[in-house]
Amino acid sequence: MILRVSWILSFSILAGCATYSTGRGIPAPVESRDGNVSDRQATNTSPEELPGNAPIQRQEVPQTEVPPARSPIIVTPAPAEPASASSTLLAGVDAAIAEGDLERAAALCERALRINPRDALFWYRLASVRVQQGRSSEAEGFARRALSYSTGDPALTGQINTLLRDL
Amino acid sequence: MEKSKPETDQHGQQAPRKRRWWPLLRRLSLALSVAVVLWCLWIDFEIRRDFEALQWALPARLYARPLELYAGAPTSQAELSNYLDHLGYRESTQVEGPGEYQRSPSRIRLWTRGFDFWDGAEPSLPLNVEFDGRMVRALWGEQNTGDLALVRLEPAEIAQINPNTGEDRVPVRLSDVPQALIDAIIAVEDQRYFSHFGVDPIGIGRALVANLRAGSIVQGGSTLTQQLIKNLYLSRQQTLRRKIEEALMALALELHFSKEEILQAYMNEVFLGQQGNRAIHGFALASEYYFARPLSELSLAELATLAGLPRGASYYNPRRYPERATQRRDIVLGRMLSQGYITAQQNTTATREPLKVASSAPSRGQTYPAFLELVRENLARDYDREALQTEGLRIFTTLDLRVQDTIDANLEASVKSVERAAANGSEGHLEAAVVISDAITGEVRGLAGGRQRGFAGFNRALNARRPIGSLVKPAIYLAALESRQYSLASVLADRPVSIPLSGTQVWSPTNYDDKLYGDVYLFDALERSMNLATVDLGMQLGIDSVARMLEKLGYDENIPLYPSLLLGAIDMAPIEVAQLYQTLASNGFRSPLRAVEAVTTAQGERLERYGIETVQVSDPESMYLLEYALQGVFKRGTAKSVTGRMEDSLPLAGKTGTTNDLRDSWFAGYGDDLVGVVWLGYDDNRDTGLTGATGALRVWSELMSDLNIKPRLTLPPSKIVWQEVASQAVQQDTERDCRSVQSLPFMPGRLPSSAVSCEDDESILQSIFDRMRGLGR
Repeated sequence: MILRVSWILSFSILAGCATYSTGRGIPAPVESRDGNVSDRQATNTSPEELPGNAPIQRQEVPQTEVPPARSPIIVTPAPAEPASASSTLLAGVDAAIAEGDLERAAALCERALRINPRDALFWYRLASVRVQQGRSSEAEGFARRALSYSTGDPALTGQINTLLRDL
Repeated sequence: MEKSKPETDQHGQQAPRKRRWWPLLRRLSLALSVAVVLWCLWIDFEIRRDFEALQWALPARLYARPLELYAGAPTSQAELSNYLDHLGYRESTQVEGPGEYQRSPSRIRLWTRGFDFWDGAEPSLPLNVEFDGRMVRALWGEQNTGDLALVRLEPAEIAQINPNTGEDRVPVRLSDVPQALIDAIIAVEDQRYFSHFGVDPIGIGRALVANLRAGSIVQGGSTLTQQLIKNLYLSRQQTLRRKIEEALMALALELHFSKEEILQAYMNEVFLGQQGNRAIHGFALASEYYFARPLSELSLAELATLAGLPRGASYYNPRRYPERATQRRDIVLGRMLSQGYITAQQNTTATREPLKVASSAPSRGQTYPAFLELVRENLARDYDREALQTEGLRIFTTLDLRVQDTIDANLEASVKSVERAAANGSEGHLEAAVVISDAITGEVRGLAGGRQRGFAGFNRALNARRPIGSLVKPAIYLAALESRQYSLASVLADRPVSIPLSGTQVWSPTNYDDKLYGDVYLFDALERSMNLATVDLGMQLGIDSVARMLEKLGYDENIPLYPSLLLGAIDMAPIEVAQLYQTLASNGFRSPLRAVEAVTTAQGERLERYGIETVQVSDPESMYLLEYALQGVFKRGTAKSVTGRMEDSLPLAGKTGTTNDLRDSWFAGYGDDLVGVVWLGYDDNRDTGLTGATGALRVWSELMSDLNIKPRLTLPPSKIVWQEVASQAVQQDTERDCRSVQSLPFMPGRLPSSAVSCEDDESILQSIFDRMRGLGR
């Protein structure tokens, strides 16, 4: 769990400096900032694992010009995680769906995907929004794309496959 | 005539004469009254029609993609401050309100303006951003805003689609106009605005007295209502009849519309300056034009400066005549003081403020002409010209200012540097076209239609259809891999070939370097762009299946079914090539390229949204194998020359393209975030002296390293297996040489043939790899 969350939060940082090896197709282990070693396969999260669904604890941020003693992006093994761009957008998607504004929900998924294009969860959410809108023909492409990024997450893979079967 | 007529005819018969012309007079006066009433009705109709038309005769406004800030966002401090400068934020030492920012080492403190996006509002808030190199490290607000995980800044306005009148407006609601500006205008132009009924006899009288006393015109008697009408019919002659008409119109306007509506129209309509052939109407636009900031951020002194302009916009032009403008401003402030709108203290502070006019007005509409053409093309299906010019639509585009500005800043110099290297006595400019899009969503991020910055002529990115040469090859190799009849280690024959065409014609292609490579691996033939091996493969597959693959990748025009298609004898515009490579970059998911995300009404109501669409057109395994070879283009193949410069971004994938007689130099390539296509060539099809690698690739790599393109992070699908093959491709296993081996990815159903496989050799190396594989898991 912590490994996965730390991966989400440090994804963009690591993207720039990660080493990459195609040698014999073994994904290179990636060391994240907090010293944990995370497997790149674990890029995906299932809904119950997303920080947005956990009680959000206010993050300690300085109100003055003094730099934060510890960067807020470093995740310590704390019981709750600070809101991230992904969790904020995920909450927005849920809110938009609750309001019945499905197109806004779709747009919020797209915003999340611009930030992290390989986030299987948002591809999946985009697919289910299109299904709800009765645009099933469009949903298939999104679901298949979600599937192509969900390798490390059997729970999400199962959900995506269910959606694809029902199309 | 009527008077004299009865006198001559009927002498001394007063009474009957009276009786006789009386009905005539009555009829005439009735006719006259009817005419006057009709005239009034016509004026009433005319002013109502034109006043109502004011509400919607508005140009469409185009916005760039907004910058998103979050921990980990790929934005450097310089990029954020550039963006803020673009938006007209003022750098200061103390951030006190919206539209200001303060820079310190590795940090920016700013106060956002907030913006009503089509999908919701972003509030205005103070914000601290801390950077770590080319990336945002942390983001936090103030005590009362708390956590900030994600902040979307307001989008930069990039253009307006104007009607051809040369007028320009930024309409504002009266509630959005600062009270000080309203006070200033009332004080200086029409003190009794809220009590008169359209015309102001007291005002006229007072002005007359003042003017007589001064011996010249020092005061006008026109009310704001009358001034508004004058502005509406600026081109008409000021005859007496017109003056009466205007007075009647003013009365009619006051009858039908509220004081607030009329004042709002005045605020948006009054003429306040001239920029080239573009007339500046309304205070909101004037605020941008003179101060490069929105009205809400102007100081009292700056508002007073603008309020001085309706009297004579060119005479008091603060940019050209700062002294006159300052004097006029002080007069406005003086009136505000004497009428009790401001205090003496405010007056003193404001009059002491130096006149700070923005050095240059933000130029709109001419900045990104190539991209705008694409936007127009995208919108043409849903909106006609009239709608775009008059309905005040707000159009949210996909343009990324960082990408577009990088293209604009570098392209010309970068083209020039390769052009010099290729100089072979030819005259005229080597031309260029660039398309850069988002690798995942298909959103177009930047575009150049020519080498020159802001080039507004022939848009080569959209319209120059040229042969694509070797850029076609990935389609051939993907068709082969997808058929499951081939693997990366399939052996192709790079040998002379003669293909009979219709009649007696024979096609005998050659390699670019005229060499013959003999037996080669499929991946090697693509990486090093071998023509003869590709023709060998393509003829085995059939031209048809190559054409079908091009269609799947996103090409929707007619495809000529000749063998020469295998070497790229097909004309495409750079944007069409970008579509093909977009599909490759998305690992076989085709998403149509788009330049528009959403369209709203002037009030922000959503009209149309153009979201991501995606269709899977190829399987992940084939795509992975193809990408192995397209990454090999950088590692070992035709793009190897730039790997030193792009070390931080590797691995990347791409393909060079060169056409007959070096007429076109192409490169199409992608990282994890961006897809870029660069074309170089002459408009008259001359020899450029450049291959894809010596021309377009260099331009591409300069742009992409400036943009900090992200490396490919494509993971192998679970079915992929790695096996070793002999480094030298051979047809017969009797010649196989496993002393030197290479490891390649394979699909389980299509493993290397026994002629080249070295997998059965129990080497020490093999066991080491196996152990590493175990560790990795």
